[in-house]
Amino acid sequence: MIAVARPSRLGIALVALAALLMLAPMIWVLLLSFKDNAALMADTASAFDGRYTLDNYANIIAVGEVFGWIGNSLIVSLGMTAGVLVLSSLAGYGFARLDFPGRNALFVIVLLGLAVPDQAIIIARHQMFSQAELHNTYAALILPGLAGPFGVFLMTQYFRAIPKDIDEAALLDNASRFRIFWKVLLPLTLPAQATLGIFTFLAAWNDYWWPLISATNEEMFTLTVGIAGSQTNFAQTEGLGFLMAQAVFAGLPILIVYLFFQKYIVQAVAGTAGR
Amino acid sequence: MRSLTALLLALLLASCAREDGDGRTKLVLQRFFGACEAEYGSVTDISKAEGECGIITAIINRFEAENPDIRVVENVVAWPGYDQLVAQLAASDAPDLVTMHGQAMSDYHARGLIEPLDADLRRIGIDPADFTDAARDAVTIDGAAWGMPFDTWAPLWHINMNLFRQAGLVKDGKPVLPTSRAELIAQAEQFKRRTGKPYLVYASANESASFMRDFFTLVMQQNGQVFEGPRRARFRTPEARNALELFKDLYDRGLTTRNQDYSAAVAGFMQGDGGVFLVGTWMVGTYEAEANKPGGALSGGYAVANYPQLFPGRAATFAGGHNWVMPRDKDRSPAEHEAALRFLRFFADHAFDWARTGHLPTSRRVIAMPEWRALPHRAGLATLADTGISTPKAIRRQFPIEAIVGSEAASAILGQKSIDAAPADMERRVNEILQNL
Repeated sequence: MIAVARPSRLGIALVALAALLMLAPMIWVLLLSFKDNAALMADTASAFDGRYTLDNYANIIAVGEVFGWIGNSLIVSLGMTAGVLVLSSLAGYGFARLDFPGRNALFVIVLLGLAVPDQAIIIARHQMFSQAELHNTYAALILPGLAGPFGVFLMTQYFRAIPKDIDEAALLDNASRFRIFWKVLLPLTLPAQATLGIFTFLAAWNDYWWPLISATNEEMFTLTVGIAGSQTNFAQTEGLGFLMAQAVFAGLPILIVYLFFQKYIVQAVAGTAGR
Repeated sequence: MRSLTALLLALLLASCAREDGDGRTKLVLQRFFGACEAEYGSVTDISKAEGECGIITAIINRFEAENPDIRVVENVVAWPGYDQLVAQLAASDAPDLVTMHGQAMSDYHARGLIEPLDADLRRIGIDPADFTDAARDAVTIDGAAWGMPFDTWAPLWHINMNLFRQAGLVKDGKPVLPTSRAELIAQAEQFKRRTGKPYLVYASANESASFMRDFFTLVMQQNGQVFEGPRRARFRTPEARNALELFKDLYDRGLTTRNQDYSAAVAGFMQGDGGVFLVGTWMVGTYEAEANKPGGALSGGYAVANYPQLFPGRAATFAGGHNWVMPRDKDRSPAEHEAALRFLRFFADHAFDWARTGHLPTSRRVIAMPEWRALPHRAGLATLADTGISTPKAIRRQFPIEAIVGSEAASAILGQKSIDAAPADMERRVNEILQNL
């Protein structure tokens, strides 16, 4: 058994201090969200005066559209996550296990997608969806996110790391290619699926730019676009408490996702760091 | 997995279907000013609403209540909303009416993206001749109105009268304001000596808009002309230099607050950090409310004045405004067009209600109304209707130009660039934009 050295008090103190420093902005945001806007406009230091209100949260919930925005964000995020997982797994398996003409060239082309920023293709993409009359639909919000080179790369690497002996054993048992993929290999990639799913969900939930220009009708707003629209012109000055409550409110679902999938997120980050 | 896939497919297909009509004419209004459904979502008594968001929400609610044949779809967009508007225009899905700053209008006009409203406004009884000069200029291109202006904003001098009294700068109950550059420096020095505080509360950190407004105002007051035509700007002028030197002088002498961003300056003025805060019409209501509360630095001591004339040229203040414009849409039906015009008429009829926001009305009729003049401080601001001047409509790309002017002016005033270098850089950068249109 390997003995694990106990951290020194100084080490614990330093880690605690670092944690506090990282948490401080979030605690401040939380305190501001419980403050009256007028009080904050006069003095942001009033966040610490002990007088708090739930009005900002009540105002968010009282806006009828907010639950529609959350619903839209959930549909888009879950739809995109499911789509990315399916497509990336299939593509990853193909690149890792199937031998077909042009495979390496195609893989390089997919990887090049990692180097192309959204800004470079946004106009062409907008025109394409415009010609297909798909703006202000879930399809427009979900489909662009499905072309995820990162997911394909991640799953390809993961499939490659699985010994080929497993496939060969299954082939000897007369299993079809799809059966090997579905029943044998896919379950082995669950940690990678979890990582990819979580990152895709977070990216889709936080996406602002594409929904801003594609979902231009209020009934199709996602949470990020809806919340940005509900801010007054000088929100950072005249409605700081409301602004912070919106930030906390928008972040809550992500916090819940984190609490449920904490193990996988930590594994994903640790795994990435360890490689 | 199978059921999840089926659910997603069903959602995708369902989402592709367009909205059904309900027999009423649909009017899509797109605006900024934020959302305040919680407080004003069902308010139709406009007099009960306060602030930009509250008042515009109540006006729209009232319009819908009084026009049951029209279904208003209100798209509240993040300020200023032009990313969405451009996307909508590209996708042929433009709203029927949209709020637009005067500075943005020339770009949309040049590309044929907005409808002329001259004839329509006359037909519904809105006479462009009733608009103030500032408002008419804000929407007039090539002699025609391309929107309906509904307010004018400009920088004002918000004054802490309690500190002014302490500084000996109050006469007959009114603030003593400078009438020249030398007087400004002298009064600011006197203010600092007697109160120990800087004369100006100044938003200088992470800020360019206020620098731009002050710069253009002071250049205009010297009869300076920045734009020599639609494709040529000139900033290396004595007027530009004078404007920058004045503010740099104030800054270097310690007569302004330092390191405050916009929010800190707004709060700083409330807390008595200095005597004068140069900010727009939109803060009148907030500071008036603060002055009516006991125990604050502004309690019983708030005044506001138009930008004083500091150079012997003309009384002028840089001004802008908000307007309703009708984006071009070949699919808009005559009924939808009429619904949009009915809304414009309705909004014009409630111009006084909107003027309670603090912005200057665009209608001379409203400015002459005793009710408007009875609002706190408003009578003294009425001359802004004649002295407010916006950038000529022939100039395109006004938003990025204003950002360049503001950031370069800030560099000069805060000492990051020399007074000679900043106007040269302004000129080069602005002309790069104008000459590459």
